Amino acid sequence: MISVTPKNLSAHNVKLDLNNLSPEQVALEIKHLDLYYGNKQALQNISMSIPKGQVTAFIGPSGCGKSTLLRCINRMNDLVDICKITGEINLNGENIYDRHTDVAALRRKVGMVFQRPNPFPKSIYENVVYGLRITGVNNRRVLDEAVETALRSAALWNEVKDRLHESALGLSGGQQQRLVIARAIAIEPEVLLLDEPTSALDPISTLTIEELINDLKKQFTVVIVTHNMQQAARVSDQTAFMYMGDLIEYSDTNTLFTTPAKKKTEDYITGRYG
Amino acid sequence: MNNWFKSGSPWVWLSAGGVSISLISVIGLLGLIAWRGLSYFWPADIYQFEMTDEQGKHLTVIGEVYEKESIPASQLVHLNLDIDSSVETIERLLIKTGNRELVSLDFRWILVPQINNSSLPAELVVIERRTNGNFYGYIEDVILDGQVVEQNQMLQLVERVSDFQAEMEELQKSDIGAINYQIERTRLKERKHILDDTLTTQLQQEFKDKVAGLKADYKVLEKQLMALREKISRDQLVVRAMDGQKVTINFADVLQVTFNNKLNVFEKLKMFFSQIGAFVSKDPREANTEGGVFPAIFGTVLMVLLMTVIVSPLGVVAAIYLHEYAGNNALTKLLRIAVINLAGVPSIVYGVFGLGFFVYMVGGSLDQLFYAETLPSPTFGTPGVMWSALTLAILTLPVVIVSTEEGLSRIPSAMRHGSLALGATKAETLWRIILPIASPAIMTGIILAIARAAGEVAPLMLVGVVKMAPNLPIDGNFPFLHLDRKFMHLGFHIYDVGFQSPNVEAARPLVYATALLLVSIIVALNITAVSIRNRLREKYRMLEH
Repeated sequence: MISVTPKNLSAHNVKLDLNNLSPEQVALEIKHLDLYYGNKQALQNISMSIPKGQVTAFIGPSGCGKSTLLRCINRMNDLVDICKITGEINLNGENIYDRHTDVAALRRKVGMVFQRPNPFPKSIYENVVYGLRITGVNNRRVLDEAVETALRSAALWNEVKDRLHESALGLSGGQQQRLVIARAIAIEPEVLLLDEPTSALDPISTLTIEELINDLKKQFTVVIVTHNMQQAARVSDQTAFMYMGDLIEYSDTNTLFTTPAKKKTEDYITGRYG
Repeated sequence: MNNWFKSGSPWVWLSAGGVSISLISVIGLLGLIAWRGLSYFWPADIYQFEMTDEQGKHLTVIGEVYEKESIPASQLVHLNLDIDSSVETIERLLIKTGNRELVSLDFRWILVPQINNSSLPAELVVIERRTNGNFYGYIEDVILDGQVVEQNQMLQLVERVSDFQAEMEELQKSDIGAINYQIERTRLKERKHILDDTLTTQLQQEFKDKVAGLKADYKVLEKQLMALREKISRDQLVVRAMDGQKVTINFADVLQVTFNNKLNVFEKLKMFFSQIGAFVSKDPREANTEGGVFPAIFGTVLMVLLMTVIVSPLGVVAAIYLHEYAGNNALTKLLRIAVINLAGVPSIVYGVFGLGFFVYMVGGSLDQLFYAETLPSPTFGTPGVMWSALTLAILTLPVVIVSTEEGLSRIPSAMRHGSLALGATKAETLWRIILPIASPAIMTGIILAIARAAGEVAPLMLVGVVKMAPNLPIDGNFPFLHLDRKFMHLGFHIYDVGFQSPNVEAARPLVYATALLLVSIIVALNITAVSIRNRLREKYRMLEH
């Protein structure tokens, strides 16, 4: 078994019983979710509750469906024509797959950061205020304030405060990724989805982002997909292990990495496959 | 040898050869046009040839040497020339002799063996005139108010007259033109009231008063004009032509008097540039074979700009629909193929379509709806600059659509996803993210469209270009931009001057000069568009991951 010492374990909240969360503690509730790409089933009967204000990690080998599941939460899978979904995901007690859901409004509540940094070819400032401008905010003072708050939250303010109006493409990869996070949190979502946010970054940038994630959970519910088990162990409070479209095991991170309940989980975290 | 083939060198040589051939042809083309076109403006030496013709008569020929060529001596046997029979070819010169009032042709060939003596007398003068082309000869007398005066006053007189001419032109074009325009508008207003049956006697009186007022103004201006005309026709120039005949030329007719043979290189250079300046800024004269081409430049540029304004939004919107909204099915593919094939339709077909659809159908209907008072003379129901721009917009539409679509498909999906994940709708994403990033590709389409449209002549002959347009499409009269007017175009000007003018020989240098100008304008338009595109590219450059 690999040695994992979650450094933020001491800061963990009281251990939650993931099967019996009170409604106030739940940020997202996934119920019997099936997902098909054409005829191929990619997710099978996923049910889980993601607690509020905590970091939940999805781990598993490539192709296990962890990213697909993440994309279900803000309905990015809608962009794939052949994708078909049954089951529900409840956010604040409302099913986001309801016919009447306003997808754009949902995505403002559930922000997302992608694998590769994807800043828009605009200035740093314009990148951060993009979401606000979409909602019709054009007041200069409000925007300035939002930019500072978001960039501070994303631990980027000190590095870019003197060049807010320069192109975002001039930033380094790690800075770009933090800018993208700042962009996502500028519109104050409830949930923040991170899809392997450090896989394209160097170790130092990765460390910065991981520290950032730890701060972010004070304000947002964070769901992170990672193929890096150490990262999951370092940053998350809960971990879900997925395999071949199934949710194999879901428990608090400490338990999952030290005393996994399922054989498959144990095999994976000890590096026997995957 | 086998290794040489394997190394790929033959293919490198072959492709390099291909590039060289294209390069040589382009440079050769531009070089020829530039040389022939620019030499038109260079003040040529004026020769005086003393020669004896085949009947033994002695004569003097004065003029510019235009061309030199060799012809087989056998062709000239019938002239019984006194030449050695061993000579196979004889050289002959094409001389521009001008003086159209004395001989009907501007040019004549002379045989080199017949020339006894050639010289460049400093006193020879070229007089550029408003009518009858150039005059070559010697100045005899300068007459001011019926009195013979010193010859050195001549240049001052020429200047004075050209000032008066400018004043007259201004008066005629802007002041009198405006009054005529007002009178016509008043007449049309009255007619509109008659057609609508709303003409009261009071209104009628108003119109009458207005027209009377305008006519009074007109009278005043006319008097001024007459006075000016009087002033400039008082002074004359008496000149002697090559055959000794004396000709009196009114100063009103004189544009420029130059002693070409007296000029040194710097003076010639100065004149060269002032000639180019006149060429691009003056109106044409004498059935377009003399003078400048300003209206044609103006028409070409205006039409291309109008076309750009029409085709850009249309093409971009069509490409967005095809790429972003239309389902990816057989019908879309068919549409795309159809659009691409549209680019291959011969341009004259677009001309016919423009004439039938835009001019007669759309224009005719517009006239009946909005310009009924001018009927039966059409306003928009006749070829004009707007219909030309529209026709060329349709012609260049496929280019813009194809480039825009290509640009759209090159944008990484991460950009779209990033925007959508922030709660933007598809339309907002398109407007705020996709279109700006695609703008360099759109500019590429526009560049190609401009390049194609600026050189197109055939369809324009059907939908709006004329040999001589009396007014520019833009002037000082409301609404300033007159889209219904016909216009002049450099491409058509080349055709007209080179092949339709009464004096093709005289016009040939003009054809080269105009061609050079057309190429320069297209290059200038393209450079502008390319520099805009490069700035956009710099701005929206994607980081290479």
